[in-house]
Amino acid sequence: MIFAAPWVLLALAALPLLWWLLRVTPPAPRREVFPAVRLLLGLKAVAETPARTPWWLLALRMLAAGLIILGLARPVLDAGDRLAGQGPLLLVVDDGWASAADWPRRMAAADAVLDRADRAGRKVALLATAPADTDAAPTATVAMPAGELRARLAALRPKPWPVDRPAAARALRAWGQGGSVAYLADGLTDGEGWEDFASALGGIGPVTELRDPIAPARLLLPPQAGTEAIGVRVAAVPRPRPTELAVLAQTGDGRTLARLPLTIAAGAASGEASLKVPLEIRNRLAGLTLEGVASAGAVVLLDERWRRRPVGILAGDATGADTPLLGQAFYLRRALSPYTEVREGALDTLLGRDLSVLVLADHVVADGPERERLAAWVEKGGLLVRFAGPQTAAHPDSLLPVRLLAGDRQLGGALSWSKPAGLAPFPPGSPFAGLAVPADVRVTRQVLAEPDARLAEDSWARLADGTPLVTAAARGAGRIVLFHVTANADWSDLPLSGLFVEMLRRLVALSAGVASPAPGAAPLAPASTLDGFGQMVAPPSTAAALPANAVATTPVSPRHPPGLYGPENGRRALNLSAHVPLPAAAPALPGARVEPIAGRAPERAIGPWLIALALALLAFDLLISLRLRGLLRPAVAALLLAAALAAPVQAQDASEQNPALITRLAYIVTGDAQLDGISRMGLAGLSDYVNARTAATLGAPAPVEPGHDDLSFYPLIYWPISADAAAPSGQAISALNDYMSHGGIILIDTRGGGSGEGMAPGAAVALEQFGKGLAVPPLAPLTSAHVLARAFYLLQDFPGRYDGDTVWVQRDQDRSNDSVSPVIVGSHDWAAAWAVDAQGRNPYATLPGGARQRTLAYRFGVNLVMYALTGNYKGDQVHVPSLLERLGQ
Amino acid sequence: MSLAARRAEALGAHLPPLLVAAERVASTVAQGVHGRRRVGQGDSFWQFRPFLQGDTISRIDWRVSARSDRTYVRETEWEAAQTVCLWRDGGASMRWRSRGQPVEKADRAGLLMLALAALLLRGGERVRLIAPGSRPLHGRAGLERLADAMERAPEQPGGEDAGLPPEVKLPPHARAVLIGDLLAPLDRWQAAIARLAAVPLTGVLLQVLDPAEVTLPYEGRVRFQGITGAQSTLIPRVEGVREQYAQRLAAQQRGLAAICAAAGWSFAVHRTDHPPEAALLALYTALAPTARRR
Repeated sequence: MIFAAPWVLLALAALPLLWWLLRVTPPAPRREVFPAVRLLLGLKAVAETPARTPWWLLALRMLAAGLIILGLARPVLDAGDRLAGQGPLLLVVDDGWASAADWPRRMAAADAVLDRADRAGRKVALLATAPADTDAAPTATVAMPAGELRARLAALRPKPWPVDRPAAARALRAWGQGGSVAYLADGLTDGEGWEDFASALGGIGPVTELRDPIAPARLLLPPQAGTEAIGVRVAAVPRPRPTELAVLAQTGDGRTLARLPLTIAAGAASGEASLKVPLEIRNRLAGLTLEGVASAGAVVLLDERWRRRPVGILAGDATGADTPLLGQAFYLRRALSPYTEVREGALDTLLGRDLSVLVLADHVVADGPERERLAAWVEKGGLLVRFAGPQTAAHPDSLLPVRLLAGDRQLGGALSWSKPAGLAPFPPGSPFAGLAVPADVRVTRQVLAEPDARLAEDSWARLADGTPLVTAAARGAGRIVLFHVTANADWSDLPLSGLFVEMLRRLVALSAGVASPAPGAAPLAPASTLDGFGQMVAPPSTAAALPANAVATTPVSPRHPPGLYGPENGRRALNLSAHVPLPAAAPALPGARVEPIAGRAPERAIGPWLIALALALLAFDLLISLRLRGLLRPAVAALLLAAALAAPVQAQDASEQNPALITRLAYIVTGDAQLDGISRMGLAGLSDYVNARTAATLGAPAPVEPGHDDLSFYPLIYWPISADAAAPSGQAISALNDYMSHGGIILIDTRGGGSGEGMAPGAAVALEQFGKGLAVPPLAPLTSAHVLARAFYLLQDFPGRYDGDTVWVQRDQDRSNDSVSPVIVGSHDWAAAWAVDAQGRNPYATLPGGARQRTLAYRFGVNLVMYALTGNYKGDQVHVPSLLERLGQ
Repeated sequence: MSLAARRAEALGAHLPPLLVAAERVASTVAQGVHGRRRVGQGDSFWQFRPFLQGDTISRIDWRVSARSDRTYVRETEWEAAQTVCLWRDGGASMRWRSRGQPVEKADRAGLLMLALAALLLRGGERVRLIAPGSRPLHGRAGLERLADAMERAPEQPGGEDAGLPPEVKLPPHARAVLIGDLLAPLDRWQAAIARLAAVPLTGVLLQVLDPAEVTLPYEGRVRFQGITGAQSTLIPRVEGVREQYAQRLAAQQRGLAAICAAAGWSFAVHRTDHPPEAALLALYTALAPTARRR
């Protein structure tokens, strides 16, 4: 604690004098009205001992006086040290992207510096080291009193581009007023010119460097597309301890599709993780974000190139290519169209537009301009996939990964001893590695590669006898891949198998994306840009359009802030991390005094509080004095005191409510906090929906533990199954059985339906294991004829977050329970579809998606609640058609 | 009937109607209960006498006359009433009570005065206020009107004459009852009593005091102020002067008693924390005829 006006403390020396004065001055007499005052006139006491002020009242007054003196001395708690140097203070603030993550702390630290300068009566100038929004180079403001600079400082925002050290160094050299420097550093060198900048800082005067030891800048690098996963990298300044991070994969409207934990090892400059998401989901990704970091450096926008790849298909035999089951392009189109944009046409037409992958099915590339154009496209990054065939076998051209032997090889058949060959497991280096090889795929004909030293490396797939089936070679930035069989079923069963689809998927995922458009295309206007905190905002007026062919090479700058550019159907992302230097820790400034930004309590001036306390004491003293003089009734004094001291009393919230008082849904606690959160949010969202749409009134959902809680209060229990949850105990199983046998309904959700095993692997197995002890009746698929489909809305299907899987209900009617199915089993992850977060949004996207699916999910939920509450009340709805028919007769 | 009058009646209900010992009743002309043992106006039968020439026919008692041959006239005893003049100090110094006391001195004094008046009126006497423009009252309605008159009595003048009865022309040989705190200087009371005794009047002086005025229960440093605020004194330690104050009060009471004794009046003291019945009884005994007075 320091005192801003310490000389006031000299007045403390006068306190003993005050004590003496108060001591000798008799207290003010009480006033009494007395009719017989005439008899008192002139009376003199026998021994006059004047009444004294009580000692405790004296102490109270002395305390109040002391507090006033202390308060006037303006004490400041947790005040910073005096700033070094004399004269004006230059406050240098790094406001590049790296400062955004802890910007409020930085501003608090800058405020504290201003406080200190204010106390010392020094003028302050501000220099922000990043270029301004207007693309103006950093310049220092004029030196002004700290109070006036506060407004400027409050208007300062972190920029979504890096700081400009050389320009800042020039601004520092142009300062020329001496004084001292307070440098609010982001801790990074931020590219070139650090030494120059550091020496320019030191050239002004004593430097106080404020560093942030807690939150070093982290940069989310542009991801790398793998065959099946997206490689996510985060660069950071190496730290002595491992850092746990999480990357969120988000859709365009900000919903999170996946959360990817990521660890930066101790001392490492970057951490990697691979984001494995189903392709449908991957196509919906609009950006990656570092969780909990509000900075432009923590956001990577993904544009169209990350989504559906344009794939061209060109068959050699153009006329018969589309013949069902026989044509060259038939299987290719069937395999590629679900997840890519398939284009067909002449080679010139195909290459005239953006293209990621070109599939040539037994098409011989003619020498000349066609070949050259194709070769140039591959060199630039195109992925050329070729399928062999009679034409290719007869006329091998040069755009092949390997040299082919003339002719082809026949395996099996009437005149051959050999049998059609199966596939060997994929070699580990192959992009197909890990795919299961079906036993029934047989290859009857193939083209053969000329034996070569590199042939083994270039083979991505082989037959069981070792001859290559798929070979590949890199050409420039691109690749050429050759399937040694045809794209139809003439030569092999491969196109008939699911493996064919998977192989093509992996190949497309391997492609580098859309090739650069031709120069001279229209410039891309900024559509929406990121601000320094990583939020999408409308582009500032200073943002300029970007040449279409320069998106990949343009660094972010005030003229081109990171964000999305271009028209609605062809957005291109300009990412900050694509061109900024990797974070490198800046060395300490020579001779600078280093202070931490965070971890220090902010300055607090407690003078006003002391004076307020003194005034309160004096008010209390006034009450006491009035009381001593008989002018205040005790009751009134007590009332005043009580009014002054009365604190607002809040009614205690009865959190533990009797579950029998209100109908509420329940979910089984799995122990997985995230899963339980989804269940809670989902049932809360469903309860709100039910309350809004129907006459039922549901309370907040209740978490239950079977075997521990009494289940009999809840009409419906939601049980999400996760693979890693502990199996329920025997007690819990018996509680659930008891619940089911007495009319309760359990909705069992394995949460993976429709997504393959992608989202909830192992849940089905877990359900099998969990359900062993459950007295589950024989089940049948839920159809639209079931009461559950008619209990409130008339439903045809029963989607949740996913759709398309079967929902199972009791097969037989059980009269003892009103024919109500005690268990409903499905895998649509209903709770995620119903979930509503604290902001009232639906945090989980529905797949394949759409508001309609969510509405249907809610409707299924309403039907479920109605079914649970009313039993077979709507059972006659099932018979309505036959009833109407009878009425008609 | 007003509340004050009702309370006063209730207070006096325990005592028999008060007949004030009448002195020099011959000179009073008002008809009342004090029989004159001679023929005159009155209600009580005195004698029958033969009809004489000149008597009005309406005075003949026909029932007695019918028993004999002569005609008789019924004569009643001459009866007269005593007038009692009442005064209560309603000044500012009476409008006071100390902390914890339920009643003000003026209230207690008024109650005593009205209770006394109720007794007197039940006894057939006449009462009047010592106030300008007041008239003698009698009968049951008189109590009500007396209460009204007491409430409406003009405020006592402050200053020199504060706490003293006003100078009003009063009938001679009446009785006077003065109730107040009697804290005015003794010489002023001397003059006032002398003036009344010269009418001539005899009577009773009742001093009504608040207990705080008797015991001076204050402590510490106290500034005492008169009711009107004119006088004030600062006592550094009240405990130190309590003794002296008690002596001064006793001197005042002794002086008053001496003045009363000299004028043939009686003097009594009443504290507002004592029951009013005691004071009423004292007044009763002071006014009621005694064997000695008979």
